[in-house]
Amino acid sequence: MILHLIKDTPANSSALNTCLRYARKQTDCILLSGNAVNCLLQAEVLAHLADYKIYVSQEDVAARGLTRFLKQIEQVNYSEFVALSLKYDKVISW
Amino acid sequence: MSKFIIQVNSAPYGNGASFNAYQFAKAALASGHTIDKVFFYQDGVLNTNHLNSPASDEFDLKQAWIELHQQYNIALVNCVSAALRRGVLSEVEAGENQVQHWNMQPPFTMGGLGELVSGIEKSDKLICF
Amino acid sequence: MKKLCIVFKQAPHGTAHGREGLDFALLSASFEQEVSLVFTGEGLLTLLKEQDPESIGCKDYISTLGALGLYDIDTVLVCQESMHEFNLQQNDLRIPALVSSAEEIAAHFDHVDEVMVF
Repeated sequence: MILHLIKDTPANSSALNTCLRYARKQTDCILLSGNAVNCLLQAEVLAHLADYKIYVSQEDVAARGLTRFLKQIEQVNYSEFVALSLKYDKVISW
Repeated sequence: MSKFIIQVNSAPYGNGASFNAYQFAKAALASGHTIDKVFFYQDGVLNTNHLNSPASDEFDLKQAWIELHQQYNIALVNCVSAALRRGVLSEVEAGENQVQHWNMQPPFTMGGLGELVSGIEKSDKLICF
Repeated sequence: MKKLCIVFKQAPHGTAHGREGLDFALLSASFEQEVSLVFTGEGLLTLLKEQDPESIGCKDYISTLGALGLYDIDTVLVCQESMHEFNLQQNDLRIPALVSSAEEIAAHFDHVDEVMVF
């Protein structure tokens, strides 16, 4: 039960790919914030993430004009982020 | 209710992670949780540079941390060795290093990595940004 | 006492991440925490022999790895997949490390209290 936090886009960082190596599809979740949310526009990335529970930071998505593109992904505000971090045993910030 | 420790590893300007950390801290406190401390490590120590001078119409993250401290009395602690290497000094380090100026002042404080470790030990959850 | 796992995902010397990660690992161990290290991706290159970081203006923090035993840091895992990707063998590494599958590393993450990535 781990919440994996991804803050940087895979274009600049190994964070997402490293995380995907170890994240468990059944029990973990992945929360994308900051520029990491941009990669969800890419079909290839979405396909990789298809079997994982994915959340995105609502503020970061809205700030970038991506809300209408990412309707299928569950968005969380900061108080929901706080609650999620407590629901999982630990948070790994990649 | 839970106790968090928040570690900030990124610079305040040019990287969104520090702002995310601030928003998380604010939301956690507003939800009734407590924060043992906000610990600034790596480039995160740059958050505490008093000389950071954003334009008047821009968000002032340093000031936001200070206001969070004033409202909730949470400790804002720098890793002193990470800070020194990045040119962030309080009056104490300025004296020790015989330099004329310093750029960090209360409510930010200098501490060692030991304070991060003891904070992790005391807290329910560590969140790094 | 908490179980802290420090993950090195970035290469040494080009940035300070690895050095500041190792500083934190040693400090935590000296504060009686149960510390383990995981090397993955380019972070694996931290463990190569015959490095000369001082020649590029960096501190030779790598040699400190030899002292892990003194700090009671006995669990060092390296990612098998990364070993393959970088075409490295165990005898290329300067310290004994357990070559571990992704599943073994994931199980280790489950086992510890906190995981910090550098």
